[in-house]
Amino acid sequence: MTMSTTAVLNSEWIKIKSVRSVAGSLIAVFAVTLSVTVLAFSTVGQAEADNPGNDLLFHAFYALNFGQIAAISFGATALSSEFLNGGLRISLTAVPSRSLFYVVKMAVVGGLALMVGLITSFATFLVGQLFMGEYAVRLGEPGTLRAAFGGGVYLALMALFAAGLTAVLRSAVAVLSLLIPFILIVSFVVGDMAGGVAQYFPDRAGQLVLHQNPEGGPGPWTGLAVTAGWAAVALLAGWWTVRRRDA
Amino acid sequence: MTSIDVHDITKDYGTARAVDHLTFSVRPGRVTGFLGPNGAGKSTTMRLVLGLDRATGGSATIGGQPYASLGNPLRRVGALLDAQAAHGSRTARNHLLALATSNGIAGSRVEEVLMEVGLGSVGRRRIKTFSLGMRQRLGIAAALLGDPEVVMLDEPSNGLDPEGIVWIRELLRKLACEGRTVLVSSHLMNETSSFADHLIVLGKGRLLVDMPMREFLASRSRPGVQLRTRDGTRLRDALIRKGHEPVRGDDGRWTVHGATAEEIGALAASEGVPLLELVEKQATLEEAYLGLTATETEFAATSSPTAGQEA
Repeated sequence: MTMSTTAVLNSEWIKIKSVRSVAGSLIAVFAVTLSVTVLAFSTVGQAEADNPGNDLLFHAFYALNFGQIAAISFGATALSSEFLNGGLRISLTAVPSRSLFYVVKMAVVGGLALMVGLITSFATFLVGQLFMGEYAVRLGEPGTLRAAFGGGVYLALMALFAAGLTAVLRSAVAVLSLLIPFILIVSFVVGDMAGGVAQYFPDRAGQLVLHQNPEGGPGPWTGLAVTAGWAAVALLAGWWTVRRRDA
Repeated sequence: MTSIDVHDITKDYGTARAVDHLTFSVRPGRVTGFLGPNGAGKSTTMRLVLGLDRATGGSATIGGQPYASLGNPLRRVGALLDAQAAHGSRTARNHLLALATSNGIAGSRVEEVLMEVGLGSVGRRRIKTFSLGMRQRLGIAAALLGDPEVVMLDEPSNGLDPEGIVWIRELLRKLACEGRTVLVSSHLMNETSSFADHLIVLGKGRLLVDMPMREFLASRSRPGVQLRTRDGTRLRDALIRKGHEPVRGDDGRWTVHGATAEEIGALAASEGVPLLELVEKQATLEEAYLGLTATETEFAATSSPTAGQEA
């Protein structure tokens, strides 16, 4: 007698939607990105567009910088809710196969993040361009579909990257205090200074998919693949930890 | 029928050995009390049985199978390990619903077990608003969710009010009468003696006792009787003539070690001394347990600094 994967999927979905901080982070991916888009584009959208060398397509996804923080929080809290006060023991008594538990959990986290990520990415692009007047980029112009689709995938990958790290470190606080400063400060500062290596940071690499003409370095899809690689490493490390450690 | 079988199991945490070559079986149809001082390895053993911790050596099976290989295990085994482990942000209903769903248990069972444990009216409240006693009841509800043949509860009476304690006692008796295998750890001796048929006692990760409770009490009791009379002097003289050594207690009762009620009753009658009370003494579980563990316990207060190092 084996366990039904569908049943475990449903159970993980119930677990995610029934914890406020986790469900809230997921909704925040969309809400934060859209709010920032509306605020920024209705005020300084067109003014910024005039800057020389500005990539109008990348500019359209400006608010994903904020949405990704919510995506990371979602990935981290979805996993950390299992590690609070030995909650993992309850989960593993219900689903004793750790690989099944882990794979299904990550599938639900990744699936939800991808769905919300895609909606967010497309909505942000479309809504933002409403404010751009003569500078507006239309969906269908070269690179736009790739960027909007890639933006959604990027958000899902960042959520999975955080989720994998949380499975290793067993604490959302640890992961968030590692990733958020990294994305907001290190990647930003080092990225502007150093170009080369920074293009392979998980956030910088993945964001290449949002550019109209990514100059130099890896191309848009390769960049996204680099981020996928980071996420895969984190997921594997998390899998190894969950399988190996005492619950 | 489904037994829990622990065979030569050992668990090391670093250099500390929590469970040491432990072998025992828990049989269906009776309540097995799981006793031992703090740190004796009771909770660790339960986690090993559930496959949550990896054994350093040996094996544990339920109905002949390792827990991890059971499909939909909540339908076979219900366990309460730690009432605080349920996520505080979930409602009681959602907590149970997630568990039920994963094991293909009908959602209607959620309301049933909530009613059964007396949480029917608070199912939609968040668990963080629950008292410890309510969390224990929720943990027991989770254990009963799949109508399992095997029930393992770690300190279930923790935090329960007096009504709750009576309730859990009756619940455990009922589960055993239904033919289920019931293993309950506790540090409350009077509590345990009120529901257990069989005892497993651990000390320092090793098996100290595995026997029916009655047998355990008998084995740890010094035979003797206690009696009360208005004519103590005359009875004492008669007892001494027969070779007994009556001792008068502070409360006026006399204790005669090594005697039976038949003997003393007959003697008192032949002497014409009225007895107001005559009982055969039996050790309480607490006395028997403390007698047993006094030498074994890791944390017993001892005057000798080396006593704690006995192997």
